[in-house]
Amino acid sequence: MRALAAETSKLASLPAVWIATAAGVVVPGVIAAITASAALGAIDRGPAAIAAIDTGYQELAFGVVGAIILGVVAVSSEYVTESADSGGGRQITTSLTAVPSRLRFLLAKLSAIAISSAMLAITAAVTTMGVVRVVLGEHAPALGADDVPRLAGVACYWVYSALLAAGITVLTRHGVVPLAVLIANTSVVSVTYLLTKITPLANYLPDMAGVRMFIRKLADSTAEISPLTGGLVMTAWVTVLLVTAAISFTRRDA
Amino acid sequence: MTGGDASRSHVDVITIDNLVKRRGSREILSGISFRARPGRVTGFLGPNGAGKSSTLRILLGLDRATSGAALIGSVPFAKLPDPLAMVGAMLDGPGAHRARTGRAHLRWVARSAGLPRARVDEVLEVVGLTNAASKRVGAYSLGMGRRLGLATALLGDPEILVLDEPVNGLDPDGIRWIRTLLRERAASGRTVLLSGHLMGELAETVDDVVVVNEGKVVADGTLGEVTGAYRTLEDAFFALTTGAAS
Repeated sequence: MRALAAETSKLASLPAVWIATAAGVVVPGVIAAITASAALGAIDRGPAAIAAIDTGYQELAFGVVGAIILGVVAVSSEYVTESADSGGGRQITTSLTAVPSRLRFLLAKLSAIAISSAMLAITAAVTTMGVVRVVLGEHAPALGADDVPRLAGVACYWVYSALLAAGITVLTRHGVVPLAVLIANTSVVSVTYLLTKITPLANYLPDMAGVRMFIRKLADSTAEISPLTGGLVMTAWVTVLLVTAAISFTRRDA
Repeated sequence: MTGGDASRSHVDVITIDNLVKRRGSREILSGISFRARPGRVTGFLGPNGAGKSSTLRILLGLDRATSGAALIGSVPFAKLPDPLAMVGAMLDGPGAHRARTGRAHLRWVARSAGLPRARVDEVLEVVGLTNAASKRVGAYSLGMGRRLGLATALLGDPEILVLDEPVNGLDPDGIRWIRTLLRERAASGRTVLLSGHLMGELAETVDDVVVVNEGKVVADGTLGEVTGAYRTLEDAFFALTTGAAS
């Protein structure tokens, strides 16, 4: 528990984590405001138009960048070299002299990432759904019992994405490449989505499978995957990656 | 002097036993052995690249030895139940993220050992960083970074201090201050192991000297024994590490 307290304290005092938090809440909130306004315009013009089933959820699938940044910087901050002026050391040295068991250190770090990304997902979901409700008013899709497992799916997707990002960064020991690749894949060009056009197998990549937990109508879907199956597939990816990261981390020199 | 009771002096001994470290085909350590005893300041000296940092990293469980052992008392560092209360360490700089404040850095370290927040303010006071505690570590000078590293090492009020190049970047006042601090800790029966290559500063601080060169121990004894026939420790050091008699 002490190790977890230390990791939580590290996250809370790292400015990059606050940037990640802001991105996680602002990105889906702003996109939701824009798309909801556009939807409202369409509804006003024609009575046939209704708000889509994935309103709010689509935006939360983008907002996961916040969780990804969180997962990457939580690990990469351990490996950032200090300025040569102050000796060129790295925080991992202090971390492992404070908590010498590699496995305990890694478990504490991943737990802190999971807890904070879950809290971030809940905050983002409340904000995004709130924005949708404010903008669309009576036209907003009603939130019902069906949304409980979907919102749980959002939280699960965010936590898994943060853990995947953290696991990859444990392997690279550097934040720039995982950050660039993962953010680009989520926002600019989704390589994993393009791959589904080439092979249906790409639907089982972690992000493509994971979004099925809460997205109901995936554009041009090339495979039918149930929310539960999607969740299980992503769980498998996360497990394999974290086990690989743990083996590498406990064996190599710090 | 051999301060402390018998059991404590046993627990506080650092034993480096025939350490060998290879990276690829390069042998960095070729069988390093020595002890650092309680009540004494042991200077671990050698030119850059001699294997000082590798030895200390293996002692702290950061790197793995190819063979041999490094023990705190009778156990490896990683097996210590309360590491910060037993060993305080500083390796290449403070080991703090530059975006965090000095105080925030010390706070997470304190939390990892269940130490109270008040202890953070105490060590900040001891190393003279109270006024810079709210500044980000990235804005610290080399000397301030050393002081933060020392504050981290002192947090758990440990029995053993392991310091890599502690006087690097300190001004004359700082060097004098750290010398007094280390002498006081040894006088109270604790163990101090420090590495360095600045002979002038170290000669007035250490009781025992271990000199390494190219991964091997080339001299091991009290300051007097190692200095021996040479005029100063510095002369002895250069003679031992370059093979040229002065």
